[in-house]
Amino acid sequence: MQDTTDDLELHRRLAAGDRSAFDELYRRYAAQAYGLAYRVTGQQMLAQDVVHDAFMALWRAPEAFDERRGSFRTFFLSMVHHRGVDQVRREQRLRARTEKAANLDPLEDEDPADAVAEAGYLSVRRKEVREALTELPAAQRQVLEMAYFDGKTQVQIAEELAIPLGTVKTRTLAAMRKLRTLLAEAP
Amino acid sequence: MIDHDEADELLAGYVLGSLTGADADAADRLLDEHVPDCITCRGTLDAFRGVTGELGLVADPLAPPEPLFPRLERELAGGRRRRIPQWGPARMVAGAAAAVLLIGVVGLSLMHDGGSGPSELLTKADLATVTDLARSPGSHVTPVGQAPAGAPSEVEPPAHDELYVMWTGVPTPGTGFTYRLWAVRGDAVTYLGDFLPDNGVVALRIAVDPTTVDHLLITSEPLGSPPSQPVPSLQQAG
Repeated sequence: MQDTTDDLELHRRLAAGDRSAFDELYRRYAAQAYGLAYRVTGQQMLAQDVVHDAFMALWRAPEAFDERRGSFRTFFLSMVHHRGVDQVRREQRLRARTEKAANLDPLEDEDPADAVAEAGYLSVRRKEVREALTELPAAQRQVLEMAYFDGKTQVQIAEELAIPLGTVKTRTLAAMRKLRTLLAEAP
Repeated sequence: MIDHDEADELLAGYVLGSLTGADADAADRLLDEHVPDCITCRGTLDAFRGVTGELGLVADPLAPPEPLFPRLERELAGGRRRRIPQWGPARMVAGAAAAVLLIGVVGLSLMHDGGSGPSELLTKADLATVTDLARSPGSHVTPVGQAPAGAPSEVEPPAHDELYVMWTGVPTPGTGFTYRLWAVRGDAVTYLGDFLPDNGVVALRIAVDPTTVDHLLITSEPLGSPPSQPVPSLQQAG
């Protein structure tokens, strides 16, 4: 993946305490991290806290990233997602889908176009991931999106969709396996 | 015998943070008891975790609120590591005395026999397991303090009655020295155990209630010396 080497080098410098490396990683990933955190939490303050905590965790414990286990980008966004879900749970603020930024309209005083412009290689990968997502059967995609973007538990998903918990588990696994394959195959 | 389809189901739910109740417990057991030694499951876990990272790209990027970066800068300006108390003689005496009280409260066993081996509170863990715990939803990872190399981290996973330490690139302590781990709460300091790196890696499970610990302290001290008070040879405030 493009820029992976740069990310690794930046991470190494960050691990050595280089502030400029932190600034560069922030420039690269803050907008994506905030967009993800906002989509999961649906609230600006919570999203800001999530991104703040993720970057501070990165600074304080850079060794949590192991390049042998994946790219820096997936590590960091996975961490942001986990913290976002945790915030949702902790704050007990699961919102209805209609309250969420499902359409991802820009917030007031926020300009997502700037962020996209500064992360071209991310936009290429974004297109690939979105295409992979559309290749999932609708039922699998629905369960995956409820878990990932709504931060819902499998039990909650089963209740909302009125399907057995086992079906939620099966669909989740099928979706994850298919995405694993599709994303590995993506150029 | 592990059914890998069932294991994959748990791992998929785990990386999404969507497990609760018995399923979450089963995933914890799987991660503790099976995954560290199973190449297949470790590969699956890493791959699924990669998928959750990639899915983050589906969300459109949004410019973070203006105050975020200045807020980070303020905290970064305060130094990289959590502040570790200075250990002046008076404080060390107070710490040692208070440690006895803390021991009484949480039922810890202080080693007075020279501290040549690990205490019951400290057991070796698998680095991959600790790393997974560090990356699990709700896990709090904080630095233990300054170190000659790398950066030891304290890991407090959610819903665990224990703490973990992970530290890579750990130099071997000088000949005749050992690393010593302490729990600090207020002015009270509690000895937890001695440890040595294994090929530069330290991964420890600490059987203490996280709510009784403000932070951890690592010192390098003469092997076999009584762990009556911490010697600030390694971890100090800057």
